[in-house]
Amino acid sequence: MDGCQSGVPTYEGDLHVVAAAHHIVKALGATKNLSDDLRKILIDLDSHLSMITSNIDSKGGRGLVDVEERLDQAERKIMRWETDPMMIWDSGPKEASDYLEAVDETGKLVDGLRGLSVHENRKQKEILHRAMNILQMAMSRLEEELIHILVRHGQQFEPKHMYSRSIRKDIVYDESFISVEDEPIKETSSRNYSNDESGECIVDLVHADVIPDIKSIAKVMFTSNYGPEFCEALISVQKEALEQYFSFLGTENLSIEDVLKMEWTCLSSKMNKWTWSMKIIVRVYLASEKQLCDQVLGGLGSVSSYCFLEISKATILCLLNFGEAVAMGPHRPEKLLRLLDMYETLACLLRDIDTLFSEEAGSFIQLQFHELLERLGESAIAAFEAFRVAISSNGSLYPFAGGGVHPLNKYVMNYIRMFPEYCNTLNLLLKNQHPGVADQVTEPDYGLDASLLTSCPMAYHLRSITSCLESNLHKKSQLYKDEALQHIFLMNNIHYLVQKVKGSELRLFFGDEWIRKHNAMFQQHAMNYERATWSSVVSFLKDDNPGSSSMSKSTFKERCKGFSVAFEEVYKTQTSWSIPDPELREDLRISTSLKVVLAYRTFLGRNLAYTDDKCVKHTVEHVENSLLDLFEGSSRSLRNSRRW
Amino acid sequence: MPRNLFRCWIRVRGVTLPLFSLAFNLSKNLPTKMTGTDQSSFLGRISIRRNQVNAMEGYHEQEIEDLELFQKQLSDRFAELLSAPDDAPTEAFLSISWIRKLVDVFLCCETECKAILLMERDAAQISKPPLDRLIPELLERVVKAMDICNAVTNGLELVRHCQKLAEIAVSALEQKPFGEGQARRAKKALVSLMSAMHVDDKESSVQKTAERSWSFGRRSGNKDRHHGHYRSLSWQVAKHWSASKQIHAMTMNLAAPRGPEASCLPAPVYILSLIIVFVMWVLIAAIPCQERSGLTTHLPINKHVNWTHSLASIHDKIGEEWKKKEKKGMAGLLYEMQKMEKLGQSLIEFTDSYQFPGEKEKLDEVAAQVAELAEVCRRMDEGLVPLQMLIREAFHRLVRNRTEFLDVLEQGGPVV
Repeated sequence: MDGCQSGVPTYEGDLHVVAAAHHIVKALGATKNLSDDLRKILIDLDSHLSMITSNIDSKGGRGLVDVEERLDQAERKIMRWETDPMMIWDSGPKEASDYLEAVDETGKLVDGLRGLSVHENRKQKEILHRAMNILQMAMSRLEEELIHILVRHGQQFEPKHMYSRSIRKDIVYDESFISVEDEPIKETSSRNYSNDESGECIVDLVHADVIPDIKSIAKVMFTSNYGPEFCEALISVQKEALEQYFSFLGTENLSIEDVLKMEWTCLSSKMNKWTWSMKIIVRVYLASEKQLCDQVLGGLGSVSSYCFLEISKATILCLLNFGEAVAMGPHRPEKLLRLLDMYETLACLLRDIDTLFSEEAGSFIQLQFHELLERLGESAIAAFEAFRVAISSNGSLYPFAGGGVHPLNKYVMNYIRMFPEYCNTLNLLLKNQHPGVADQVTEPDYGLDASLLTSCPMAYHLRSITSCLESNLHKKSQLYKDEALQHIFLMNNIHYLVQKVKGSELRLFFGDEWIRKHNAMFQQHAMNYERATWSSVVSFLKDDNPGSSSMSKSTFKERCKGFSVAFEEVYKTQTSWSIPDPELREDLRISTSLKVVLAYRTFLGRNLAYTDDKCVKHTVEHVENSLLDLFEGSSRSLRNSRRW
Repeated sequence: MPRNLFRCWIRVRGVTLPLFSLAFNLSKNLPTKMTGTDQSSFLGRISIRRNQVNAMEGYHEQEIEDLELFQKQLSDRFAELLSAPDDAPTEAFLSISWIRKLVDVFLCCETECKAILLMERDAAQISKPPLDRLIPELLERVVKAMDICNAVTNGLELVRHCQKLAEIAVSALEQKPFGEGQARRAKKALVSLMSAMHVDDKESSVQKTAERSWSFGRRSGNKDRHHGHYRSLSWQVAKHWSASKQIHAMTMNLAAPRGPEASCLPAPVYILSLIIVFVMWVLIAAIPCQERSGLTTHLPINKHVNWTHSLASIHDKIGEEWKKKEKKGMAGLLYEMQKMEKLGQSLIEFTDSYQFPGEKEKLDEVAAQVAELAEVCRRMDEGLVPLQMLIREAFHRLVRNRTEFLDVLEQGGPVV
């Protein structure tokens, strides 16, 4: 360039060369697929060349005047808005593009004047100084316009449209373990979302129409080295928008201390909300934010990911801190499923996170996610253990009235019925919890292959949980003084266990063998019950002398009386016992009937001679009908209420 | 040697102490030389000792010796921290690198204290009086400290924001040729910087100052907006949370053990508690965070034992400084922020009165200030992210620490 300036003699020739070069540069600049870097170089070159032209011209006295005129023109366009209360981009596309053009022109003039390394020319210095002042004013204005556009065209989106708000209102496992005495509500809504929910949906956080406007502002600000201002403005608005959205989701910042002190029902709903917000924030909001940053700042190197990180970091940390607080809280059994929800949510978001924060600066966030995932896994395992311990140590001082299905049993079975939905996660987490099982594990995904399902870690742990439960129930059965009631209690409870297993996906994990064994078990208890209750009663009806045709009347009377008293006694006690399952109740009545009624009928038939006697207090039909009153859970007496 | 030590760690039952990974971390990451080797040998010593003499006569004497050694090391570490120069381009008192050292010291002490307390310890020992009261109190402090770590992490975001604004100012002021336009650009950034700094931490005053910093009220569309994003929702740990109240609560019941207790288990519990409170207090004083007004300048430091001398001096020094600056409403005692504040003010004055082309003398003076501000930015750029990560590491350590205590307590009796 200096060469050009010094080459006074070949003034005409210079002018031609410069003009030709300028022409080429302009033509190149019009090419489409240029990288932004290259384009910038061409633009710079362009302004240099036009400067040179005017400089060469100035030898003829016209150059600086020309530059000044151009600057005057740009200044007028820029200054006119300084007093205008309207925002430029609100006023129309023409206004906006005029303004940008003027700014662009000023920028070019500044670049050109600077590139000329004018040492002596005072006039040039003055023009440069003026141009820079104008440029500063314009940049300040553009920053304002940018913030205005972002705010005005920022779009809220309804989370409803993104994800069904699948909070599982499942009272059974929302209940704390302590309140196990309550009747759990049986109907549990099942999870209506699954993990392969790949529905990554990106929304426009800022209206798509204004993206080109923002881009053009970005372009001109970065070209004029006002990039940092652009970034700070973008970050400030978008960060605040994210925070507003965060509170719009109903998520609030909580201190760890607060979380640790929180009551279970409250914590549970917060955990639910977290799971839900986490997905929306990461999958939808942040993915969209990332897109916005890339759209606006793409091609500017790491600027886009820097802005994205700054915008999202605080909110992400806030979400992570809640997770940390939950994971470090007391490991209560009722927390297990919620923890698994959180774990699964994080696990399936990890890929998104790794993509969103793939740059080095974002590795901090990545790391925090991985750490939290690990912590939640540990916490879930601990809650699982706590669950097992709680089952084993659930003690009772008094026998459970009526011998029906114990609330602990109901709670546990309804709770573990949810486990199959978490099968893969539980298998992953429990794999190392039992060395014997870990060895068998070869295939991480057990699919629906029944033979494999029964030998996966979760199946092992499920069976170990139910065996804890069984031994606790045995302990509880010992509280009954009446042996028959012990058997009724165990029969009821094991039957319940089997029904729950058979009636759900649990059966795949427990396997037929287990079911067969447990069927046999409760049937055994039924038989034991019959023996314990009815053997002595029926023994009155036994024929001591099978050879002779009948017994003496006095023996008959005595036997009859003995039977009546014993039967009435049984009736009185066992009407208060309960067999909640109608089928089981029916089965037991039939088999009791078969035994007792048949024996009674035989007994009376064999001693027909005495049956008129008053000593036969109950007819066969009476006995048969009375048996129907047993196990209904409300005490009755045959002596007081003679129904027949 | 390390190999042997490692083996003796593996043998240690009961408490999980990821000490070795830690020792490696320390030697890798820490700028200070006082940590790595000292610590592993100290921990090795305890571990070997505990293995050898466990349940034997003379156990108590050994413990006293361990404790004395530990206190000696503490004393050395705080003395080194105290010896940092007040005003130096690097490693100044309360500078970012100094704070990093402080947090390192905290991490070391934490590990060692825990080793003394838990390693090879019969759980029953720490669940009987007075420890059955002291340990739960310690754990409550630990939880509060976690929240403070998070508050400080948020505060460091503000510091980073200040750094970015200062960088804009620097780049404007470095422009050649320099003119009024660049002066205005610098001033705009500096004014934002000052108002970002000069918020007192009260939620109510937040919006006013923040609004001033962006001052876009001129046009109707922006009137209701304030861009104090570093003071908005994510700035908060929780609604109504207060850093100074946390410190206050942490100092409750924090009393040095007396008499025979001073040489047995209550002593390390006190030391650990005190160091946690102290370090958190310094962090709050140095780094802006939610609601610091009324921050106590008095911590119950027992000055009658040797090891607390340097710690008490650091405490007094910072306390004095805090009293001086508190009224003004400021960004914290962080050396770099203080420096930035002073330079920023002076540069605002310059940009205010600047007229093209400016006097040569004044310009030279300003150039020196700009260079200084650039240097502050550079140190922030280098130090802030690592500091943020270190604070996060401290947070995670507190989490693990609490879990380990709870595990041991669970073995030894009623769970807290």
